[in-house]
Amino acid sequence: MLPFRLPMTTPARVAPDARPAVAQRPPGFRELFLRLDGVRLVLRGLQDLRTRVRLLQYLVGTDLKRTHADTVIGQLWWLIDPFFSMAIYSILVTVVFQRSIPDAPLFLFATILPWQWFQTSLLDATTSVTARGNLIRQIQFPKLVLPASSTLAGTITFGFGLLSLAVLYLVYPGRISPWLLTLPLIAAVQYAFTLALAIFFSGVNAFYRDIQNLLRHATRIWFYMSPAIYSVTALKGSIFGVVLGLNPFTYILTSYRNIAYYGTSPDWVGLSAVLLLSLVLLAFSIWVFKRIETGFAKIL
Amino acid sequence: MPGTSYAIDVRDLGVRYNLHLTRRTTLKGSLAEWVGRRQRDDHYFWALRHVDFRIEHGESLGVLGPNGAGKSTLLLALAGILAPDEGSLRISGRVSSLLTLGAGFEMEVSGRENIALIGAFMGIRHRVMRELTPSIIEFADIGPFIDAPVRTYSSGMRARLGFSIATAIAPDILLLDEVLGTGDEEFRARSQQRIRDLVSRARAIVLVTHDLNSVAEYCNRAILMEYGQVLYQGEPTATVEFYKDRVRKRKARLAEEEAERAAAGMPSPVSLDQLASS
Repeated sequence: MLPFRLPMTTPARVAPDARPAVAQRPPGFRELFLRLDGVRLVLRGLQDLRTRVRLLQYLVGTDLKRTHADTVIGQLWWLIDPFFSMAIYSILVTVVFQRSIPDAPLFLFATILPWQWFQTSLLDATTSVTARGNLIRQIQFPKLVLPASSTLAGTITFGFGLLSLAVLYLVYPGRISPWLLTLPLIAAVQYAFTLALAIFFSGVNAFYRDIQNLLRHATRIWFYMSPAIYSVTALKGSIFGVVLGLNPFTYILTSYRNIAYYGTSPDWVGLSAVLLLSLVLLAFSIWVFKRIETGFAKIL
Repeated sequence: MPGTSYAIDVRDLGVRYNLHLTRRTTLKGSLAEWVGRRQRDDHYFWALRHVDFRIEHGESLGVLGPNGAGKSTLLLALAGILAPDEGSLRISGRVSSLLTLGAGFEMEVSGRENIALIGAFMGIRHRVMRELTPSIIEFADIGPFIDAPVRTYSSGMRARLGFSIATAIAPDILLLDEVLGTGDEEFRARSQQRIRDLVSRARAIVLVTHDLNSVAEYCNRAILMEYGQVLYQGEPTATVEFYKDRVRKRKARLAEEEAERAAAGMPSPVSLDQLASS
C-alpha cells in the first residue's frame, strides 16, 4: 500500500436524516465488493486506453513534435542521438577500461539503445501527469492516457533508433542473423515492464514530486547494475551476479545482445518470467492509478 | 431508475482537500506523519459539505456567495473534475466543460492541432470534431496564427481559441462562471451572443456569479453558499434579499466591533471577510 491514505478511498458517508434509503451493507458483502472492485478498476483502466486511441495518437504526435521543436535538423536527432551515446560508451569501455571486445560498437549498441528507450520513457512518463495539471483541472478525461502516451512516444523514438542499428550493420554485416526477427517479442516484454512502472510512478509523482528526482538517479544506478556495457558471463558466480539475476533487465538486455550481437536465441525462460512479472505489475499499477486519479485535480 | 428525472441531483455532497497533500509535502514529511499518527479529521478542509439540491429539466440555478464559499468547487464537482468524498452527485446529460479553457494548451503545436487534441481530451468523436473545426477557427478569429505554435499567441488569442473550443458543442447541462469577460469589445459581444445561444439550448443551467441582478434575471432558483455549505435556497429574489441582508448585518456587526475597539483604544484590524466581500 501507499504510504498515505487518500481521501477518495474512504466510503461516502451519508447523513442519517438525509438519505435513509441507502442502507449499510453487511461487512461480508463489503469485503467481497472491494475485492471485485479491484478487478473492475483494472478492467476500466484498460478500457480507458482502448476507447481513447485517438487521444493517445494525438498525444504521441505532440510529444514527438515537442521534443525536437526548433532544431535545425529536427527528427534526424532520433538517429543521431543513439550514435553519440554508443560512441561515448565505446570509448569508455575500450579506451578507458581497456576491455577488448570484438565489434564493441555493436556489442554496446544492442543494449544501450533499448535501455535508453526504457529510461527516457519512464522519466518522461513520470512527469506526464504533473505536466498536464492545467488540463486536469479543466477537463474530465481518463488520466491513464498520459503515462501511456509518453511511453508510446518513447517507443516511436526507439523505432527510429533501430534504423541507426540497421546502419551499423553495414559495418558489421557478418553479425546479421535471422534471430533479429524476434526483436519485436523482446521489445513487447520490455514495453509491458516499462508501462507498468510508468503508470505507477506517474500517479505517485502527482502526490510526491520527490519521485521524479529519485527516479533520475535510480535509473542511472540501475543502468550500471544491468549488463548493458558488460556481459553477464563476466560476473557469473559472484555476489553481484546474484543481484543481476534479480534484475529484469538482465534477461531483457541479454536477449537483445544474443539476437543482435551473438546471433543466438533470446533467453526465452528469462523473458517469460519478466513478462509474467510485468503483467502482474501492470495490473497492480493500473489499480493504484485508478484509485488515486480522482485526487489529481485536487492537488495539481 | 429513481432520481433520473432530475437534470442534476446533488445529495449531501461533500468535497474535501487533504491539506497535507495540497501543501506539496515531501515523501519524508508524509512518512513521518504516517508512522507518527494516523489520519485525523483536521487534516482536511471541506470545500463543500452537506450540499443538497436538485434541479429539474428546464431549470436554471444561480449560485451566490462570497469568495471562497465553494462556488467554483461546486462547478468543478458538477463538471466531474472533482469526485465527491461524501454523498452523491448524479447528472443526466452531457455537462459542459468549464469555459475558461486556454491554460491547457499544448504550446509547441499549432492552434489547429490543439483543437483536435483538446477535442479528443473532451471525448468528442473525431468525426464530429472534424466537422466543427472550421467553425471553431472562424469564431476564434485569429487569422493565419491558427497554424502557428500556440506559444506565439497573445493571451487574448489564447482565450478566444479556448472559448471557441469549449463552446463548440452545446451541452445539456450548462455550467457558467461569470468570470468570462475576455477579449476586446467585439469578441465580448460575440461570446455573449454564443452564451445566450447555449443558454437557450441547454436543458439546465448553473450560473455562478456575483452579479445579483443577473441571478434575478436569468435564474428561476438560487442558492446562497458560505463556507462550503448551502445557507439558503429558494426563489432568486428571496435568496438575493437574504444575501443582501446578511451582508448588511455583517457590516453592521463589524462597524460595531470596530467602535468597541476604538473605544478600548485598540487599532482596527483589516478583516479578511471585509476584503472578500468587497
